[in-house]
Amino acid sequence: MNTLRIGWRSIWRNKRRTVITVAAVALNTAILIVSYGLMDGMIVDTVNSVTNMLTGDAQLHAPGYRADRSFYKSIPKVDAILRAARQAGIDASPRAYGYGLVSVGHKSAGARFWGVDPDLERKTFGLAGQLSAGAFISGKRQDPASAENPRREIVLGRKLAKSLHAGVGSEIVAVVQAGDGSLGNELFTVKGVLKSVGEEVDRAAAIIDERDFEDLFVSEGRIHEIAFNAHGRLTPEQVVAALEPATAGMELLSWKQILPALADMVNMFDAVIWIFGMIFFLAAGLGVMNTMLMATYERMREFGMLKAMGATPWRIVRDVSAEALMLALFSTAIGLTIGIGADVYFHAWGIDLSGLGGDVVFSGIAFNPIWRATITTTGVIAPVVVMWFVCVLAALWPASKAARLDPVKAINHV
Amino acid sequence: MYARSCLVLVLVLANGAPVAAGDSKARLSAREMLEKVDDLYRGNSSYGKMTMKVVTAHWTREMKIEGWSKGKQKSLMRILSPSKEKGTATLKSGNNIWNYLPKVKRVIKVPSSMMGGSWMGSHFTNDDLVKESRMSDDYDFKTTFEGKRNGEEVVDITCMPKPEAAVVWGKLVVTVRTSDMQPLSVLYYDEDMELARTMTFSEVKKMGGRRIPTVMKMVPADKPAEYTMFRYDQIEFDLKLKDSIFSLRNLQR
Repeated sequence: MNTLRIGWRSIWRNKRRTVITVAAVALNTAILIVSYGLMDGMIVDTVNSVTNMLTGDAQLHAPGYRADRSFYKSIPKVDAILRAARQAGIDASPRAYGYGLVSVGHKSAGARFWGVDPDLERKTFGLAGQLSAGAFISGKRQDPASAENPRREIVLGRKLAKSLHAGVGSEIVAVVQAGDGSLGNELFTVKGVLKSVGEEVDRAAAIIDERDFEDLFVSEGRIHEIAFNAHGRLTPEQVVAALEPATAGMELLSWKQILPALADMVNMFDAVIWIFGMIFFLAAGLGVMNTMLMATYERMREFGMLKAMGATPWRIVRDVSAEALMLALFSTAIGLTIGIGADVYFHAWGIDLSGLGGDVVFSGIAFNPIWRATITTTGVIAPVVVMWFVCVLAALWPASKAARLDPVKAINHV
Repeated sequence: MYARSCLVLVLVLANGAPVAAGDSKARLSAREMLEKVDDLYRGNSSYGKMTMKVVTAHWTREMKIEGWSKGKQKSLMRILSPSKEKGTATLKSGNNIWNYLPKVKRVIKVPSSMMGGSWMGSHFTNDDLVKESRMSDDYDFKTTFEGKRNGEEVVDITCMPKPEAAVVWGKLVVTVRTSDMQPLSVLYYDEDMELARTMTFSEVKKMGGRRIPTVMKMVPADKPAEYTMFRYDQIEFDLKLKDSIFSLRNLQR
């Protein structure tokens, strides 16, 4: 207790020195917290763009479906799988896919139809919110009183809508080869047009209600894909492990296996951020160490005096470390406040990168152009703890040197 | 190309004067044989009714179709049954194809990106409907086999596309039965010289004033268990047909 009191008093004996040191440590702590938050935010955003938009943590397909996308390779016992996902706390959206023609007036184009359950899709993924115009399909019957009255709403990918000159309210003719070989055709009304979310979706997606899909394609309830999203509660690997028993014989893959190029990019990102993080920590640590070293060297005479008056070497080391620790605690508290404040700002408002040039698309996935920081325990605690160590170590070295010095030499130390 | 003329068969597209279908005992040259096959189903105009049977790994279905053709450029086909597709019609004019869908009462022009797609679920593509070629004009050919096969005297004529010809096939092998000069089969090879599909002809009957094979069956090489078969129930050649038959207005009738 006594040591701490003496330490605290010593700190404020030279106010200018202390203010400089505190400023250096606090600023470096804050910078480390914010840069960690921003870098981590970039990775989290990348992964989120994948898992929360439409791909999910993991996807289920019939064996071989991904290779040829055959309409007839569908997933059996969909209800049981959905139930297993629900029990594991994983959201799931079943989707049916089929190819056909969409036409508006004299314009027509090939399309990939998605049959989705609008409620599950909206609950599981962000795609339903990514609209540049209109709204997502509602799943509601046009006339709720009639059981026969169909929904017939359609949401189009951005480039598909553009090539058809279609907008909200346009009437779309869909023509497809149905599952029984017959010619399926139906009229739809455009309910919404998607934002750019990835090349394949932009060019070809025509999203309709799964019940309309069943009528159009005579699909008999076939489901070709179930996309799972644990919303961060489980890792993709845990999602796969949780669903494995219910999906035996099917192809259950995490997003890293589905989009290997993107997974590689995220891994590389991780490595780059580690390297950058190390450099940042090193630079900040050296800066603080320099300040602390200078501050302690300045007091060589003082330590020599103390020794001359009978202070043991241990006493000097103890006093200096106590001082350094208190200085570190005080400075990092300030740095923490500034750092978290900045983190919160960048988390809430982010940095708008859209000015750097249009949509950010990689591996067919569009990324959020707003770069946001994350606030994590590691991202806050690591810089603080590192600063403590740096401060104490930086003080201990000259202190231990002074402690071992001949008092006369220390007093004459310049 | 001829492959396309399979569709020609289907479409009963007319092209030039029909060759007299005489069973001349005189030896025909390879060119004459090819011309005979080229013109088998062609006339200045034609009308026919046919049954199309499509068998795939997942379903089998039969359609009754009636069709009109005039010249090389124009044809119209209308589905008579089954009821789900009844009234669905396809109009070909030049290189364009329109489909009329009675259920939604809309006409759709098939975009160029979908021309390689299946026509009405068959193993024929929309391109097959549109592309025109004559083996005797667009291919260099020579007789590569003459003799008995499966108990019948046959001639194989191998056709290689002329460099300037706009055809997709690498090679065709046409087998003609020498006794009546009727075609038995055409093998289609792709540009890598792999067999792509096999067309066989059978049930030669007198119809529309000619002796013609009334059944054609196309088997894709990559799915040997699947096929599309056409059977002519009726065919007439060189009738008087108004141009207005081949209009978008009539398509929607």
